[in-house]
Amino acid sequence: MSNEHIIVGLEIGTSQICCVVGDLRSDGTIRIIGVGTAPSRGVRKGEIVDFETAGTCIREALVDAEEKSDVMIGAVYLGVSGAHIESFNNRGAINIPEQRDEIREEDFEDVQASAREVSIPSGNSLLHSILQHYYVDGQDGVLNPVGLLGRKLEADFHIIHGVTNRIQNSIRCVKEVGPEVLEVVFNPVASAQVVLDQNQKSLGALVVDIGGGTTDFIVYVDGVLKQSGCLPIGGDHITNDISLGLRIPMARAEKLKIGEGSAIVGASAPGDMIVLKDETGFAGREIEREMLNTIVHCRVREIFELLKRRLDAAGNVSYLAAGIMLTGGGSQIPGIAQLAEEIFAMPAQLTFAHAVSGATSAFENPRYSTAIGLIKYAAALQPERPKSLFSRVLRKLSFLWSWIF
Amino acid sequence: MISLDRNRATAARQDLRIAIVGLGGAGSTVLDRLVLDGLSGASLVAINTDAQALAGSVAAEKIQLGRSLTRGLGAGGDPEIGFLAAKEAVGEIRAVLADAELVILCVGLGGGTGSGGARLVAELAREQGAKVVVVATLPFTFEGRRRAEQAEEALAAVQRDADLTMCFENDGMGDAVAPLAGIQDAFSAADQTISQAVRALAGLARRRGLMHLGFDELATILRFPSEAAPRCYFGFGEADGANRANDALARALKNPMMDKGRLLDGAPNVLVNVAGGSGMTINEVQILMEALNRYVGEETRILFGVAVEPQLGEKMSVTILCALPADPADVRLQPAREIAIRPASTRRAEPEPAIEEPAAPRDFPEPTEETADFRPADDELEHLPVVASAAPVPPPKRTEAKQEQMLLDPVARGRFERSEPTIVDGQDLDIPTFLRRNVKVK
Repeated sequence: MSNEHIIVGLEIGTSQICCVVGDLRSDGTIRIIGVGTAPSRGVRKGEIVDFETAGTCIREALVDAEEKSDVMIGAVYLGVSGAHIESFNNRGAINIPEQRDEIREEDFEDVQASAREVSIPSGNSLLHSILQHYYVDGQDGVLNPVGLLGRKLEADFHIIHGVTNRIQNSIRCVKEVGPEVLEVVFNPVASAQVVLDQNQKSLGALVVDIGGGTTDFIVYVDGVLKQSGCLPIGGDHITNDISLGLRIPMARAEKLKIGEGSAIVGASAPGDMIVLKDETGFAGREIEREMLNTIVHCRVREIFELLKRRLDAAGNVSYLAAGIMLTGGGSQIPGIAQLAEEIFAMPAQLTFAHAVSGATSAFENPRYSTAIGLIKYAAALQPERPKSLFSRVLRKLSFLWSWIF
Repeated sequence: MISLDRNRATAARQDLRIAIVGLGGAGSTVLDRLVLDGLSGASLVAINTDAQALAGSVAAEKIQLGRSLTRGLGAGGDPEIGFLAAKEAVGEIRAVLADAELVILCVGLGGGTGSGGARLVAELAREQGAKVVVVATLPFTFEGRRRAEQAEEALAAVQRDADLTMCFENDGMGDAVAPLAGIQDAFSAADQTISQAVRALAGLARRRGLMHLGFDELATILRFPSEAAPRCYFGFGEADGANRANDALARALKNPMMDKGRLLDGAPNVLVNVAGGSGMTINEVQILMEALNRYVGEETRILFGVAVEPQLGEKMSVTILCALPADPADVRLQPAREIAIRPASTRRAEPEPAIEEPAAPRDFPEPTEETADFRPADDELEHLPVVASAAPVPPPKRTEAKQEQMLLDPVARGRFERSEPTIVDGQDLDIPTFLRRNVKVK
């Protein structure tokens, strides 16, 4: 077992902190050794609002993961999200210098730098610059231009950036607890690695990760990452709606949401009541099931409609043959896939992390998709992996990071 | 710079005789609130059927209605009784209002005394030759449909004799308190808003120096084609400190009636008055107006006034008043009408001798010899330069005209109380979706 390599993915979510310890084998497969979680406090809508409390929760999750995996965690790959994170597609172009007309590896860096020249707002820093396509002298469909002859090299990149301070907050919070942060990854980019297989990416798919504080999404078209983003609405909002609508405290609203909530309206019989038990265990108020479902339905519908609007604006909706993959804690609401199908007019299904092995219960839970995805993403960055173009470009990225710190 | 006013109907003077009449239970409470908040120079008249309430009122003049009909008891929520009771006291009412040039009638509609007596009082005031402004509140939804209907009827009736009618919906004001707070707090919030509005009105009327109150201006705000009185929205904010311009505006907009400024987008006219101590700079005024401009619609006309009131000291305050028609379908922006821009005072300042502009704030335009108020000429207002060093208040996304009447309850953010609101298309997404979409949920 000499080529064991421990990779740890850490996601600081709004409802839970999730830390997954994985083992990267020499053949490139990943095995999940342990998953540590802790309820998250001090995080709202995907962003840390209470530094100390969040730090405590992170520590709890890390300790839990260390115990379960029997590994000391020294460094993590950190997943971030938040409404401040934005993304766009941009094309970079360079002319091959005249004395040669063969395209070389160093040209990648140049063309990437050219793509990133589009101004990211000051105060923001780059999270990802993900390669989409190459064009050599205007010809597309080029998979690997190295060695080809050409005068002009262009490349499309999907650029993701976020407010520097907020990203730094997350990093600092983790560092304060102990581990180093090796990379910062935008959550849906990580989830997509384990939720979609290559076939689905080629067909075109949308991954929607409904978390506690945010709904993250990512779109693949023709095998290439086309759009990504974050809506700062999540399961918390559903719970909040229930709490305000039925006038019950948040904790009970949360239980109610998980236990009884459904996104489908019109399906329950009129007069079908849910009994809210009070603290002593005796039956308390009664509420109509339909009311609860209506509240949940409204909010979920809104999330999807907002999402759809974003997708329509980018023009991506018609290309998604593989449909929608729903993941994250929020995807467990009954009826949500149906609602998504109705709103997006394409098939939707619930999903979780694939392409990993290990304790089944660990990776079959959609709440862990992102953290597991971080490991897969990190694995792609590792030098032992067979050199793929993707990883080479990513590696170049990783030391581009250093200037941010 | 002083521009001459056109269309002068009533000259507003410092010594304008104002009578503030509180009719009925709610009306009297407003009077008490006014005194508490500080109002001087206007005579206060409390008119009620309920003798006990009357006795407890702080007003200088009191008139009891229905001495023989109701004998010191209330009107029992019946406008008919309220009307008859008021008729009994016609002579007294006339006498008390005889001297007034402007009568501000504060009344809570829906009950007996206020709803029944309002139109009579307004009629009498008008007969005396005074201008009549009615500030009315419409009952909370939880008070039931009967009261709502009575309120609407009374409103229609009183409008015939009023020069201006401003209605406030209690629901909008009650939203200032947390949803689970007691009814007391909700009513109290309503009183506070009315009190501020009345003081702003009185202040408008009392402007100093060459400026006049045109009821024209106020009328402009309230002019809508439909017959129902427009619903008024009012915001008031005061702040001091380094960022006072933005803070004051933020507070004014926080008033739930302002709905964080979204309402301003749909209002055809908005009255804004900015006041500050002698240290207030034109830069701050510009910052404030610039920030405010982001909230108002493309077509909205701003009636803008600035006053320097040294007693404000370090504070800066802004008062915003706008109206939307009761029926949202009625908003048709009026064709651009010539309006002379006029300053106002947010609160009743004591009649004072002319205040010299201190030499320090250089960028203040030269004052008139009589007053510290200043007012830009119409064209100058248009050219207020964009303030480069705008304050950090993030502008909300622009919305298309939002006409729904149902005001969002900005406090119902529950868990998201203290986090930055998520605004998309002018809606605060932290507020429950079913609330925003008015989906019936028991």
